[in-house]
Amino acid sequence: MATRSWTQNRDAKAAKLASISSILDGKFVKTENAKNLLESVINPGDKVVLEGDNQKQASFLSQTLPSVDPEKIHDLHMIMSSVSRPEHLDIFETGIAKKLDFSFAGPQSTRISQMIADGTMEVGDIHTYLELYARLYVDLIPNVVLVAADKVDREGNLYTGANTEETPVIVESAAFKDGIVIVQANEIVDKVPRVDIPGDWVDIVVPADEPYQLEPLFTRDPQNITELQILMGMMAIRGIYEKHNVQTVNHGVGFNTAAIELLLPTYGEQLGLKGKIVPNWEVNPTPTLIPAIESGWVQTIHSFGGEVGMENYIAHRPDIFFVGKDGTMRSNRAFGQMAGQYALDMFVGSTLQIDKYGNSSTVTNGRLSGFGGAPNMGSNPTGRRHSTPAWQSFRPDDDPLGKGEKLVVQMVETFGSNKKPVFVDHLDAEEVQKEAKLANVPIMIYSEDTTHIVTEEGIAYLYKTDSMAERQAAIEAVAGVTPVGLRSNPKQLADLRARGIVALPEDLGVRRSEAKRSLLAAQNMDDLVKWSDGLYNPPAKFRSWS
Amino acid sequence: MEKSHFNFDTKEAISKPVHVGVVASGDLEVIFRPTNQETEVNVVTGSDGFKEVWGNVLKRFFDRYPIQANIEINDFGSTPGVVNLRLTQALEELKDEK
Amino acid sequence: MLQNVSHDLLAKVKDLTGVELTDDDRAYQDSIQIQLGILVLQLFNIRQLRSINQSPAAVAGHSLGIFAAAVASGVISEDEAIKTVYIRSQKMQESYPTGYGMGAIVGLTRKGVSELVEKINSDVEPVFTSNQNSELQTVISGSIAGIKKVLALAKKDSAQKAVLLKVPVPSHSPLMQSVADVLETRLATVTLHDPKCIYLANYNGHAIRNVQGVKYDMINNLVHPVYWDTMMDVAQELGIDTSLETQPGQTFTRLVKSKFPDFRTITMKNMKLDDIEFLLEKWKRG
Repeated sequence: MATRSWTQNRDAKAAKLASISSILDGKFVKTENAKNLLESVINPGDKVVLEGDNQKQASFLSQTLPSVDPEKIHDLHMIMSSVSRPEHLDIFETGIAKKLDFSFAGPQSTRISQMIADGTMEVGDIHTYLELYARLYVDLIPNVVLVAADKVDREGNLYTGANTEETPVIVESAAFKDGIVIVQANEIVDKVPRVDIPGDWVDIVVPADEPYQLEPLFTRDPQNITELQILMGMMAIRGIYEKHNVQTVNHGVGFNTAAIELLLPTYGEQLGLKGKIVPNWEVNPTPTLIPAIESGWVQTIHSFGGEVGMENYIAHRPDIFFVGKDGTMRSNRAFGQMAGQYALDMFVGSTLQIDKYGNSSTVTNGRLSGFGGAPNMGSNPTGRRHSTPAWQSFRPDDDPLGKGEKLVVQMVETFGSNKKPVFVDHLDAEEVQKEAKLANVPIMIYSEDTTHIVTEEGIAYLYKTDSMAERQAAIEAVAGVTPVGLRSNPKQLADLRARGIVALPEDLGVRRSEAKRSLLAAQNMDDLVKWSDGLYNPPAKFRSWS
Repeated sequence: MEKSHFNFDTKEAISKPVHVGVVASGDLEVIFRPTNQETEVNVVTGSDGFKEVWGNVLKRFFDRYPIQANIEINDFGSTPGVVNLRLTQALEELKDEK
Repeated sequence: MLQNVSHDLLAKVKDLTGVELTDDDRAYQDSIQIQLGILVLQLFNIRQLRSINQSPAAVAGHSLGIFAAAVASGVISEDEAIKTVYIRSQKMQESYPTGYGMGAIVGLTRKGVSELVEKINSDVEPVFTSNQNSELQTVISGSIAGIKKVLALAKKDSAQKAVLLKVPVPSHSPLMQSVADVLETRLATVTLHDPKCIYLANYNGHAIRNVQGVKYDMINNLVHPVYWDTMMDVAQELGIDTSLETQPGQTFTRLVKSKFPDFRTITMKNMKLDDIEFLLEKWKRG
C-alpha cells in the first residue's frame, strides 16, 4: 500500500510561494507585479474570496483580477459577501470566473440577474452574511483570499482600524487551512498603530495604487426625513419600544430608523423613557445617533463596520464605542451579525415589498439584490433562551415550556417612490425566482419571523394573530389604499383594534399634528456636527456648505 | 391639472372650519368647512390618472371617521400616505377645538 | 435639420442609395427620408466628436439609433450603415400600409401593461408589449384595433397617459419578422468588427462586447422591444455617470435625468462643439 501524504495542501502552498520567489521580497510584492502574482498563485477552478461588503472593497485587487490571462486562470469559484463593483462581474463575462457564492449585490443587481439568466454565471447560493462566513469553514474553504488593510508593517501585521469589518473572518479561513492570504495595503509603515490581524496569518502584501474604496453607506441627512416617517417613528417608540421594554436593538439602513434615532432625545424624553429603553446597540456608527448618544440615551454601540466621517467622534467616545488602545475604533462584521442574529431584543428594518401574508423582499423585477445581513437580524433564532423583558413578553402564559421571541419590525409607507404600492398580493421575488431559476424565492424576511408591521396608518401586531387569515386581516388594516389594504373593512378594523391586534395613532396616544420636522433632535447635517461638538466630519457629498 | 368631485353619506357634523397642510411639492392643503348638506370633497391635483386612488383614500377615511363636511383639497403630487396624514391631522384639530 | 451636415455625407447618401435628402418637413413624412436624415445627422455628430478626440466607454442607440451606435463603436462603416438603414426604412414603409401602429402608456408598470396586452392579443387583433422606455413608460405595438382596446383598459387602470402614437408601423413586435429576414441577408455579406467599447443592446438590455451580439441587434431590432430602461440600469452599474445625446433631440437625456438625477448630461442639439469639448475634458479631470 502506497503511503499517503497528509501534507499535500501544505506542500502545494509551499510550491506556489516558491514559484514567485523572484517577485517576492519578504512578504512584499511590488504594485506593478500584482497581475503576475495573481497569475502565479491562483489555479483554474480555485475558490477565491474577494473582500468586499457594502462599505469596504479590496478595490486594487478586484481591479487587478480582470487583467489576468483567462487562458491561465479561468472558471474560478468566487466567494464575495457583496458584489458591488463593475469588475466583480466583468470577470464572469471573460471566463476568468464561473461560479459565485454571495450575500448582497444591490449595486450590480441588474447585471447579476442577466448573467444568471443567460448562464454567464452559475450561482452557488445567495447567503446571509453569517451563512457565507460560516461556510468558509465548512464547504467553501478558500484556496486564495484577497483582502484590504489600511496599514501593514514589515512583518505583515495588519491594521484594519475602524473598517476591520470582515477581514478577520476571511483571513482566518485561509490562514489555517493552507490557503494563500494576499493583502492590498493603503500604506506600509514601520509599526502599525495596533495589530488587528497578526502577520503570521499573512502570506503576501501588495501596496495598492490608491486607498481601498470606502462608502459612507449609513449616513442619512436629517433634512430628508419626512413627516410620515416621523409619525411612524412616534408610533414605533410608543407602541413597540416602550410597550415591549426593548433594551437591545439593531436599526437597518433607512430614513424610518433615522427618524426614530432623532426622536429619542425629544419625543422619547417627553414620554419619560430615557434610561428605560434601548441602552445597548448593535449598529453601524450612524451619524443620526449622535444626539441620542450626547443626551445620554445610548450606553454602548458595537459595529459591523465604520462610517466615513465618524472616526474622530468615535475616538473621543470610547465609553460608547469599541475602541482600541491606539484610540481608533475596531469593528467586526461577523461578530456584529452574530450579535444581530442572536443577542438582540429587536430588529427594525424596511423593505420595498410586503405580500399579503407578511413576507417581505427588496428584490424587484429584473433586479437580484440579495439581502446581506437583514435575514440574520430579521429572523427569530429558535434555539435561544433570553430573560430580557422583551423576549419574555412573547412567552405564552398558558404554556410552561413556551418560548419567547425576537421582535422583528418592518416599517414601511404603504406606497413607495413612483406611487407604487408596497403591499402586494405577490412579491416580484416570485417572478425573479423563475427567471433566474433560483432554488428559493428570494424572500428577505419571512412572515413567520415578522412580529410587527408599522405603516403611516398604524401598527399591526402580527405576533398576536392566531391564524393566517387573522394575520392577513391585520396587514390589510394598515396597508392603506394598496390593493391589499382595500380588502379591509370598518367592522374588521374595529374588531382588530378592540383586541389589540391593530393600533392606530389615536390608540397609542400619538398625535398626528405633532409629527413635525421640528420634533427631530437635528434638522440637518450641520445640526449633527454641532451636537458632536465639531467632532463629526461629514463626507463631502453630505456637506451643503462646501 | 385634474379636478375630481366626490360625495359621501356621512352624518357626524363638524363645528368649525379647519385648514392644514402646505402648498409645496409632494404635499397638499386640506380645508374642512361645516355643512348641513351632503358631504362633498373637491380635489384639484397636479398628477393625472389617480382619480381611483383618490376615491379609495377618501372612502377609507370616511369609513373610519364619518364626518359631515365640505372639503377642499389642493394637491401637489402627494402620496396616499401624506393625503391621509393631512386629513387625519385636520380631524385632530377639530377635536381640539371641541 | 441637415443644414450643418457636411456635404460629402449627403453626397454619400445619394451615391449609395440614390436618395436625395431634401431636408424639409414634407419630405420627413416619408419613412426613408426621415430615417436616412436622422442617420446622417448622427454620423455627422460622431465625426464631430472624433474630431475633438472623444471616444465613449459605451454606446446606446434606441431603435434606428443603434446604427449610429454601431458606427460609433467601430462595428460597421458609415457606408454600410447608410445602405442598411436604407433597406430597413424601405422595407418598413412597404410592410404595413394601414391598420397598424404603436401606443404609449405612462403610469403603469411593464408587468401591468403586459397583463392587459395578454387579455387583448389575438390572431385577428394582434398587440404586443413593446419598448420599455422607463419604469412606468411602456410602448405597445400591433394592430390599431388591438392597441385601442389595451389603451382603454390602461385608462381604466388609472394610467396617467394612454395614447396612440403617430407611427404607421407595428415596430418592435414579432409582426416585423419580414424586415429582420431581409436585414439578415443584407448583413450576411457585410464586414463587421468587434465593438471598441461596450455596446448596450436593444433586444435584451445587456452589455455586449462582441460583434455577434451587435449584429443580432441590427438584424432583429424591429422584432424585439427596446429595453431602454434596462440598458440605462446596466450603464449605471458599469460605472457610467455621464451621457451625451446626439441630434436631433433630447428625449433620452430627459429619461436619463429623471432616472439618475446625478448623471452629467450633454445634448448635442443644445450645445456647441467647443463647449462640449470643454465640459467633457473638465469632467474627466474630476
